[in-house]
Amino acid sequence: MKRLVFLLLPILSVLSLVLPAFSADAPAEKETLPQISLPVPDSEEYRAYLGLKQAPGETFTVNDIDADVLLIELFSMYCPFCQEEAENVNALFETMYDFSKPEFSVKLIGLGANNSAFEVDHFRNTYGVRFPLFPDQDMSMYNALGGKGTPGFIACKKEADSSCTIIHRQSGGFHQPDEFFKELLNKSGYNQ
Amino acid sequence: MKRIALIALLLLMLPAGAGATATAKSFTSLIYDPGKLKPIDSTLKIAPGDKAPDFTLRSVKGDTVTLSSYRHKQNVVISFVPAAWTPVCSDQWPGYNIAKTFFTKHDAVLLGITVDNIPTLHAWTQQMGELWFDVLSDFWPHGAVAESYGVLRSDGTSERALIFIDREGMINSVHISDINIRPSLETVVAGLENLDKGR
Repeated sequence: MKRLVFLLLPILSVLSLVLPAFSADAPAEKETLPQISLPVPDSEEYRAYLGLKQAPGETFTVNDIDADVLLIELFSMYCPFCQEEAENVNALFETMYDFSKPEFSVKLIGLGANNSAFEVDHFRNTYGVRFPLFPDQDMSMYNALGGKGTPGFIACKKEADSSCTIIHRQSGGFHQPDEFFKELLNKSGYNQ
Repeated sequence: MKRIALIALLLLMLPAGAGATATAKSFTSLIYDPGKLKPIDSTLKIAPGDKAPDFTLRSVKGDTVTLSSYRHKQNVVISFVPAAWTPVCSDQWPGYNIAKTFFTKHDAVLLGITVDNIPTLHAWTQQMGELWFDVLSDFWPHGAVAESYGVLRSDGTSERALIFIDREGMINSVHISDINIRPSLETVVAGLENLDKGR
């Protein structure tokens, strides 16, 4: 037994150093999602998905979105890695959509960093994206959210006061939608 | 002892599993940022209505491309970008890579040109996925084609320029961007639509 402990100790020490490098950024302290403002979508389907009460032509904040967990994808039509990841993100959306129910919902929106509405529409049409995408041409939302490259992902958990506590940040693709979804659920504290 | 070795092996495999959802590609680390540059640093030598200067350049695919070979056949859009492995350039052509439908609609080919050499362009464009359009090297004589169009900058790079050439080989429109800013997809589409006007 002593020999076992003696052998495993250095391995565990090395692992404790290595593991953080393989993890996505996890906020050390409670961090609230900034109050970014978005235009209400013209699409009735999107408004229903987001649970918005506002009308087209008005704006809403991310706190208005009716979701227990909200995932924001930072993407760009021009980013080859976002293009590569589009299929995975679509699969993740379908998983979220199928999973969500009135008692607990996980929703997804995308912000097109430095993209015009035309460019965001082209990305949506090219990849058949079903979740709401919004242009962020001046990158003000990207900057407010602390974006670090595209694709990037920021997830938050809705609190009782409607604020959203960031539970996950990630730069780069997740590649495995099911695993990523489980990770989000775990970090949200969802009890399966 | 075998059991100990097995446990140790399993523990060493752990990071791969734990990090499966977070293997972010470090693509930004490959890009060199030259900082903010003088927006435009050359004098254009062409204008709408001029005959487009002809050229033959080597393609990353290994063959050569001659502009005049498209005459009486297809419209041509030339996209000059300043340099490989720089921030704005590196996300301009990947956008065009998913915009083929606009070029097809207007019966246009896209030719991407930089003053970089073929090995550099090969490595750079590999990062963009499989490009549907030709990428040409204006490396030697250095920037000669860019110079003939008046888009060679004083530092040996080219402007960020879009040249729209009709089927007769005539310049239809020219868009020189601020080198620090990527031209929008709308600019590309407007140039393509303009090619069909007056036909």
